[in-house]
Amino acid sequence: MEQGGSFFGTTPARITTVADTSSDERLMIETAEQFSLNEVLPLVDRLEKQEPGLMPSLIRKAGDLGLCGIDASDQYGGLGLGKNLAARILEFMSLDAAFSVTYGITSGISQLGLTLFGTDAQKAQYLPRLTSGEWIGAYCLSEPNSGTDALSMTTRAEKRGDHYVLNGTKMWISNAQWADFFLVMAKVDGEHVTAFLVEKSMPGVSISREEHKMGLKGSSTARVILENAEVPAENVLHEIGKGHQVAFNALNIGRFKLGAMSMGPARQAIMHASGYAQDRKQFGQPIAEFGLIQQKFADMAMFYFVAEAMLYRTGANIDRAFETMGGTPDGNRKAAEEYAIECSACKVFTTEAEAAIVDDCIQVYGGYGFTEEFPVARIYRDARVSRIYEGTNEINRIFLADRLVRKLGDGAKAAGDSFISELAGRTMAKFDKNQEILGACSDLLILTFAEQSARLRAQQEGEYGQMCYDRFLNWAQPRAAIFAQRVLGEAVALPAPRPGHTEPLARRLYETRRPS
Amino acid sequence: MKVLVPVKRVIDPYAKVKANAEGNGIDTTGVKFEINPFDEIAVEEAVRQKEKNPAITITVVSVGPDAAEEQLRKALAIGADEAVLIQTDEDLDSRAVAHELAAFAQELQPQLILMGKQATDNDANQAGQRLAAKLGWPQATFACAMEFAGDNLTVRRETDEGEETLSLPLPAVVTTDLRLNEPRYIALPGIIKARSKPLTKRPRLTDVKSQVRTVKVEQPAPRQAGVRVNSVAELMAALRDRGAL
Repeated sequence: MEQGGSFFGTTPARITTVADTSSDERLMIETAEQFSLNEVLPLVDRLEKQEPGLMPSLIRKAGDLGLCGIDASDQYGGLGLGKNLAARILEFMSLDAAFSVTYGITSGISQLGLTLFGTDAQKAQYLPRLTSGEWIGAYCLSEPNSGTDALSMTTRAEKRGDHYVLNGTKMWISNAQWADFFLVMAKVDGEHVTAFLVEKSMPGVSISREEHKMGLKGSSTARVILENAEVPAENVLHEIGKGHQVAFNALNIGRFKLGAMSMGPARQAIMHASGYAQDRKQFGQPIAEFGLIQQKFADMAMFYFVAEAMLYRTGANIDRAFETMGGTPDGNRKAAEEYAIECSACKVFTTEAEAAIVDDCIQVYGGYGFTEEFPVARIYRDARVSRIYEGTNEINRIFLADRLVRKLGDGAKAAGDSFISELAGRTMAKFDKNQEILGACSDLLILTFAEQSARLRAQQEGEYGQMCYDRFLNWAQPRAAIFAQRVLGEAVALPAPRPGHTEPLARRLYETRRPS
Repeated sequence: MKVLVPVKRVIDPYAKVKANAEGNGIDTTGVKFEINPFDEIAVEEAVRQKEKNPAITITVVSVGPDAAEEQLRKALAIGADEAVLIQTDEDLDSRAVAHELAAFAQELQPQLILMGKQATDNDANQAGQRLAAKLGWPQATFACAMEFAGDNLTVRRETDEGEETLSLPLPAVVTTDLRLNEPRYIALPGIIKARSKPLTKRPRLTDVKSQVRTVKVEQPAPRQAGVRVNSVAELMAALRDRGAL
């Protein structure tokens, strides 16, 4: 088994890729895709208007098909299938981003704290209702003045007899309007961060009006207001003062899953744009035949290939970590932490790949792409938040460099590894001054992980993969050189470019057009 | 009551295909395979009947290569009870398949054989009819609705003249049309359950050979661009030039 962070310095013999999907798993993914195509996408305009009851009814339908409990344990109504398959399914449940957020949170991060740290009684009480889709779940960490600096939260919990009294406001809470169940972080006595299992029906819990968002308009985002909210003492999840373990480990896995949630809308945008490019004629021929349009599709193919390579390698490793270390709250915590670096790398790379893809798709549509008459404008607006939530890409960059130094630092320093020592000198303690260089180090690490994942996937998957890998090197090497220059302060030579395979890659994407 | 549903592994009907290098078949590299959509409707119908009458057991059978296990597992995931794969790597014609299925039906003794009216790969539309003839059973083709009525089966079928309602004594063969039902999404727990349902592989039951041989498969010629004409007179002249008038 690969160890977390070990991509830096060692190369495994092979990695798990989408080509390793079994026929059973393919059937499940097909169910997810059919569900998105037939149940979700036709309702997108009505969902965007937040028609009452519509989104919860879709979640219930997904629950009836077993889609809301893929990685929860089968004792509690889940299927116990693991996080990698859950992410693959999530990719295909994410063709519409607003549905994807609702589904992703109720089937993922809202349940995850319970499955990792819950007691049997807590799991039995809440998981079956969440895995069936009867209840919708939410995850409450951020506050109006506490976002990236999450531990500065001011929501308080005071013990009164057999219950805790919670006071505070949680902000940017996805699913707030529809949720029956909230995983809430609060400080006991204003000091000890602790996770609480809160029901909407508990006294003192209320929801503000909806935020007026740029995108994801079909999803619910509002504040959860706790005014002397009464939560039974048995609803403390894990231990008093260890809420950060619940919050951050749910976030580690959440970041990995967000990667899959970003690729779904990107896939959808590509399919729309590839159809448009082949239908739209200018100068007497489809614009799909023009080199600069093909260039965009070839880039999209490359980004998609590399993002998937990183994601499903990481997911398989996370599953193996849970198999070998998991089972107890402490083991689960270690398993969820093991690949924190890779989870952050996946989050940053895939969300930036998504941004590049949807941006190019708008460009393919030209002026029509700038109107709401065509579906790509919505996908573009929806995609913007991917680089912001589950930890901004900036904090993820800081975090992953810091983690790698802590994980490998001492050994590497002893071995005189200049890159690690460079990083080690610039970790959290001093990052105020050195953030830009720390960021460049992180980018190098992300590109290293991306390059290695893409290379191994290409070796395993033949010609198409090799074309994507060549194109990726042409894209990545100049970037890596810039980041390396920033760190080293001196010029870095570039290797010769490889063939870009523009036309064959573009034509592969043209075949993916959705039948209209 | 036993219901037998034969299913065929076919190339995904929405896949873009091209002729292979030898020019004697389809190039199947990277092509997705599916249950023949009409057969999937037959599986769905059998499962719906079973949901009304739990005494029904559903056997799905495929005559085909080892890879057809994938389609049989899918049928099990939809809700069939057991699967049988009659192994052959030959591309059998409708007559040979009908012989195989007849031999299998004589062994299983189902009350009903429910199958697609045709397969989307060669569109022969013969296997069901030949099977019924071989067994000497009544048949109803192109079913758009069906219902058990005592020892009989009532089937509505679409014809060029209108809708026909037939009553058939059992055992019988019914072939399904597109409008019979809309196959469900396959629930994930069903897919997991299908892993432990019995799937038996066995050799062919007869030695009947195909009488139809594929001689040549070629790509259709690309469509030529049209010519724009400016008047009716020009159009007439052009048609005359090409000998169309």
